[in-house]
Amino acid sequence: MAMLEIKDLHASVEGEEILNGINLSIEPGEVHAIMGPNGSGKSTLAKVLAGHEGYEVSRGEVLYQGRNLLDMAPEERAREGVFLGFQYPVEIPGVANTYFLKAAVNAIRKHRGEPEVEAVEFLKLIRERMKLVNMDEALLKRPVNEGFSGGEKKRNEIFQMAVLEPALAVLDETDSGLDIDALRTVSHGVNTLRSADRAFLLITHYQRLLNYVEPDHVHVLVRGRIVRSGGKELAEELEKSGYALFEENAA
Amino acid sequence: MSAVVEQKNAYLAEFENRGPGNEPEWLRQRRLAGIHAFEAQGFPGRRVEAWRNARLMPLAQSHYVSAAVRGALPMALAPTAAVVPDAYRLVFVDGHLSPDHRALDDLPSGAVVRSLAETVRQEPDALEGSLAAHAELDNHPFAALNTALWGDGVVVDLAPGTVLDRPLVLVFMSSESADGHASYPRVLVRAGSSAEADLVLVHSGPDDVSYLACPVTEVAGGPNSRISLYHMQEEGSGAYHLGVIHADLERDARFHLHSFSNGARLGRTDAYVNLLDQGAHADLAGLYLVGEGQYSDYHTWVRHRAGHCTSQQLFKGILDGKAESVFDGLIHVAPDAQNTDSQQQNRNLVLSPRALAHSNPRLEIYADDVKCAHGSTVGQLDREALFYLRSRGIGERDATGLLTFAFANEMLEALPLEAVRQYQRERLFGLLPGDETVKELL
Repeated sequence: MAMLEIKDLHASVEGEEILNGINLSIEPGEVHAIMGPNGSGKSTLAKVLAGHEGYEVSRGEVLYQGRNLLDMAPEERAREGVFLGFQYPVEIPGVANTYFLKAAVNAIRKHRGEPEVEAVEFLKLIRERMKLVNMDEALLKRPVNEGFSGGEKKRNEIFQMAVLEPALAVLDETDSGLDIDALRTVSHGVNTLRSADRAFLLITHYQRLLNYVEPDHVHVLVRGRIVRSGGKELAEELEKSGYALFEENAA
Repeated sequence: MSAVVEQKNAYLAEFENRGPGNEPEWLRQRRLAGIHAFEAQGFPGRRVEAWRNARLMPLAQSHYVSAAVRGALPMALAPTAAVVPDAYRLVFVDGHLSPDHRALDDLPSGAVVRSLAETVRQEPDALEGSLAAHAELDNHPFAALNTALWGDGVVVDLAPGTVLDRPLVLVFMSSESADGHASYPRVLVRAGSSAEADLVLVHSGPDDVSYLACPVTEVAGGPNSRISLYHMQEEGSGAYHLGVIHADLERDARFHLHSFSNGARLGRTDAYVNLLDQGAHADLAGLYLVGEGQYSDYHTWVRHRAGHCTSQQLFKGILDGKAESVFDGLIHVAPDAQNTDSQQQNRNLVLSPRALAHSNPRLEIYADDVKCAHGSTVGQLDREALFYLRSRGIGERDATGLLTFAFANEMLEALPLEAVRQYQRERLFGLLPGDETVKELL
C-alpha cells in the first residue's frame, strides 16, 4: 500500500485556486522532492496535507496508508504519523519546548493506547534526539520558538520530527534561509531518520538541499500542477536551466 | 426607577437604626460623611462615566442587610480559607470575626494585628489619624457605604523596621446563610518606616447565594516600607463584590498588588494609589477570568504627586461564554511630578464571540519630563499557534487550554509567594478547557 496517494487534488485559499490537479504517489521508504518557483503552490500542498483550516479542497482525494486523509482533523493526522515541518515555525510564548513536546508525545501514545511516557524515559529520548540536530539544551526550557534564530527554529522542527517519529514527514522549505553548517545538520537529521517504513516529502526552493539529502524522485511544481517528474538528475537540470522552461510549458 | 430610590432609602434607614453605640465622635463623623456620600451617589446608572458598564439595577432592587450573626464557614471552602499554610491568619464569616480560626501567635515584636471593632472599643482614639482618612468616597458609593456601615475588620500596625516573617492572611468569607445579606470588611494597614509585609486578602463565598460584599482596604505605606498585597476575589456565583483598595505611599515606599478575580456575578475592584513623595513605587498586576454570565471590572487610579516615582500596571483578562469585563486605568501625573516613569498594559483574551472586553486607558499628564506608556489589546487565540499545536497531535481543546494557560502564566510566574502561585495555578487549571494535558505540564 502506498504511504501517500494524491489524486487530482484541487485546493484554494480565499477563493483563489492554488492547486490545479496534483497527482503524486509515495511509497514507504522513499524520499520525494518537490521543487518549484514562488507561488507555484508548494506551501499550499504542505498545509493541505497537514489539515490547515485556511485551505479548501474543492476536488480530488488524498489517501494516507489507504485512508482518507482529508477527513481527519489536524491532530488526528499527527497521531496517525503525519508530520509537517513548518516553513515558518510558530512562536508560542509561555509554553516551554519540553512541555510542548511531552504533550505531543503523550497525545500520540494515548491515541495508540499506550501509557503516558515516563519522565526519565522522556528525558533520555529528547537528550538523544537533540544530539542528532546539535541543538543547545538551553532551548528545551525556552518557550517554543520564542527568540530562536531562523536556524534554531528549523533545527527545532527536525528535532520534533526525531522525537515524534512520524511515518510520513512533509518538510516545507526546511532548508530555506539556512547557512551551510545548519543545512548540513538538518540534512544529517533527515538522513538518519530515513528508513524502509518512513517516507519523506521535501518541499524546497533550492536545489542545494538535494546535495545533502538524496531524493528518489524529484517533481517540478508550476502553477499548481506537477509538470515534470524524474530522478535526482532532474534537480541538477533545474539548477542549470531554472524554472523558465517549465513555466512556458505550463502556460 | 422608584424601586432604586426606595432601596437606597433602606440603606439610609439601616444607618439610622444602627443604634447609638459607644463610638467616639470622630468616628461618628466619618460614618456620617460615608452615608452622605452614599446618599449623594446612590446606585450609579449608565450615565455616570465610571459606572456605565456595570448593571447595578438587580443589586439596587433589594436591600442587602448587614448580617447580624456569624454563619458557619462553608465546608467546601475550607481549603480557600486555609490558603498559604503556615501563615498568620484571621478569618471573618459574614463580617464577624471567627475566633476558632485565629492564628496570630509569635508575631514579631513591632507587629500588631487586631480586630478593628475591638481596637475602637479599647482605645477609642488610636485610629483617628488613619481610619477612613485615606480612601475616597466620591467615586465609589460602595466604599462610602462601607465607611458608614462597617462592623468589623482588621488593623495591621508595623512599627518602623518591622519585617513580617510570614504572610498575614485575612479571609472574608460569606456563609450559606448569607442570602440577602451584606458584609463591609474594613482593613487598615499602617506600615512604619522600612517595615515590610506580605498580606493575602481572600474574599470568598458559596455559589448560588445572593449576597453583597463591599470591602475597603487602606494602606498607609511609610517611608521606604514595602507592602505586597495578594488579593483574591473568589466570591460565589450569586454575589456582588464591590471593593476598594487604597494605598498612600510616602518617600521610597513600595506597594505591590497581585490581584486575581474570578468570582461573583458582578465584581469590581477599584485600586487607588497615591505616590506622595519621591522614590515611591507601585506595581499593580491583575488577572481576571470571566465566564458565562459574569461581569468583572477593574478601575485603577494611579496618581504621581511627586517626582522620581515609578509605577507599573499589567492587567490581563480571559473571557469565555457570555461575559463582560472592564479595565479602566488612570495614570495621573501632577505638574511638579517630573521624572515620572509610569507604564500601563491591559491584554484581553476573548475565547467566545459572545464575550465583551472594554479597555479604557486614561492618561492625564501635567508634567513635561516624564516617561509614560500604555497599551491595550483585545484579541482571540492565535489561530496559527493553535494549528501548530494540533499539527503535533495535541487536540483542539487541549491546545486551547495550553495557549490560554500560557497567556495567564505570565501573571503567575511573577508571583514571589510560592503558595499563592501554586494555589492560583490549580485554580486556573480548574477553569480551563482540556486541563488534563495542561496539568501534565506541572
